[in-house]
Amino acid sequence: MSAYDEFAKEKQEIDALLDQGYTVTGMLETLDGAKVKFGSGEPAKGSVELLLLTADARKYVTTLVFAGLQKAQ
Amino acid sequence: MADLSIDLAGIKSPNPFWLASAPPTNTGYQVQRAFEAGWGGAVWKTLGDPIINTSSRFAAVNFNGQRVAGFNNIELITDRPLDVNLKEIYETKKRFPNHAVVASLMVEPTQEKWHEIVKRVEDVGVDGLELNFGCPHGMAERGMGAASGQQPDLVEAQTYWVKEVATTPVIVKLTPNITDITVTARHAVKGGADAISLINTINSLAGVDIHSWNTIPHIGGKGAHGGYCGPAVKPIALNMVAECARHPEVTVPISGIGGISTWQDVVEFMLMGSTAIQVCTAAMHHGFRIVEEMIDGLNNYLDEKGLASVTELTGKSVSKYSNWGDLNLNYKVVARINEDNCINCNKCHIACEDTSHQCIDMLTNAEGKAILKVREEDCVGCNLCSIVCPAEGAIDMVEVDSGLPPMTWNERQRVVGSLSGSYSKAEVV
Ligand SMILES: Cc1cc2nc3c(=O)[nH]c(=O)nc-3n(C[C@H](O)[C@H](O)[C@H](O)COP(=O)(O)O)c2cc1C
Ligand code: SF4
Ligand code: SF4
Repeated sequence: MSAYDEFAKEKQEIDALLDQGYTVTGMLETLDGAKVKFGSGEPAKGSVELLLLTADARKYVTTLVFAGLQKAQ
Repeated sequence: MADLSIDLAGIKSPNPFWLASAPPTNTGYQVQRAFEAGWGGAVWKTLGDPIINTSSRFAAVNFNGQRVAGFNNIELITDRPLDVNLKEIYETKKRFPNHAVVASLMVEPTQEKWHEIVKRVEDVGVDGLELNFGCPHGMAERGMGAASGQQPDLVEAQTYWVKEVATTPVIVKLTPNITDITVTARHAVKGGADAISLINTINSLAGVDIHSWNTIPHIGGKGAHGGYCGPAVKPIALNMVAECARHPEVTVPISGIGGISTWQDVVEFMLMGSTAIQVCTAAMHHGFRIVEEMIDGLNNYLDEKGLASVTELTGKSVSKYSNWGDLNLNYKVVARINEDNCINCNKCHIACEDTSHQCIDMLTNAEGKAILKVREEDCVGCNLCSIVCPAEGAIDMVEVDSGLPPMTWNERQRVVGSLSGSYSKAEVV
């Protein structure tokens, strides 16, 4: 699979969670990738975690949070 | 025509082109001929206790047909008595009152020695002093040159001793043979330096003769490390100049040195913070008249840019030289191959396939012609293909919109830091 396709797959997963009303609530960078925790604020939905492997996805998800924080300021 | 005159910490010269302290500035005869050819200033071959040189003393590194890509020497400072040099400096200054004559000095690191030489040299009317804390060989073994230039406290103390008696501006010439040149630059400033110059030569061994197993150069079968200069060292020198120029505690003007051989090099050094520049190897390779092309080129460039004075260039690119952590991670370029200019050598394909990201495809177009095409979404914009491509205009690196707002590594790390604080384990999908 091309590097772009690997990223596109991870991006899709991120975007799908965001569409369902989840937001990024935690992140832990490890040797094996970034564990990103998504929460919905609704106890019924709980939280979901993705393990992001590609550099572009790890960059994408933090850019979203960074841009969100900037907007809030 | 633009005004080329400069003023480096009070040392004035008709243009920014100075000869560096080295063989081209060994005698009055040479410096006066250089001024006639157009050089605006000269830093006299370093004065101190006269030394004895070896024979031979130079070597060059040729690369792929380019002669003197790098130059290596084990020459020391002047081998002529101080009095002889001073007479010639006096005569030179009398003939060329408007040119900059700077005396380079190197003595043992004691207050008396520095006071003695500064007074004697200033008596003949030099425009300034340059303290040679950079010579990497021979003198260093005697506690001078790079040996004292590598110790920030000695740089500061010796600069201070010179400033105690000097009446002309004092330039401190720094050695590149150090981990962080801004440390010694800062100590030179603390000691009272009016300007700094950099770089002196870089520790080097030009080569080993694979037939005789002798070093290059060798002195009857033995060698010693020398100092490297010439075009090969330019990127190292340019970075060191830029690092000093952007350091908030290095508050004095800079004389840039290292691998300068064209007017374009001069512009680069000035944009990165130099007020004036010095040249050694290019003059040794091509003679004094090389300055004519440099002056013409610089003049035309300034006219094209609509600049009235060369001083307007100084430091204009310094703010663009930043830290890696402050670069925008969402900026994106990709390679684009221009079929019209491509000569189908395949070098880009091999480079990308073997050592980058495997995103240049070998295809056949509608007319059955072999073509190369970049899969832009997989291209990381590393530049390698355009670097190895031998055909002008065959590969363009083009900016594409990543669709993401700017974010630097440092900004990202702040986000990751706050998110990792609130992280707790959950199910991995
Ligand atoms: C043969 C030779 C002798 C040199 N002697 C001196 C010297 O006496 N004093 C000094 O400060 N620098 C000396 N240098 C260093 C030059 O002044 C200059 O800093 C260095 O060569 C880098 O500039 P370039 O790349 O234009 O040659 C010498 C360089 C060469 C090649
Ligand atoms: S810029 Fe780098 S990744 Fe992109 S095509 Fe060229 S070599 Fe490959
Ligand atoms: S390296 Fe340049 S000339 Fe050679 S195939 Fe690639 S684009 Fe064409």
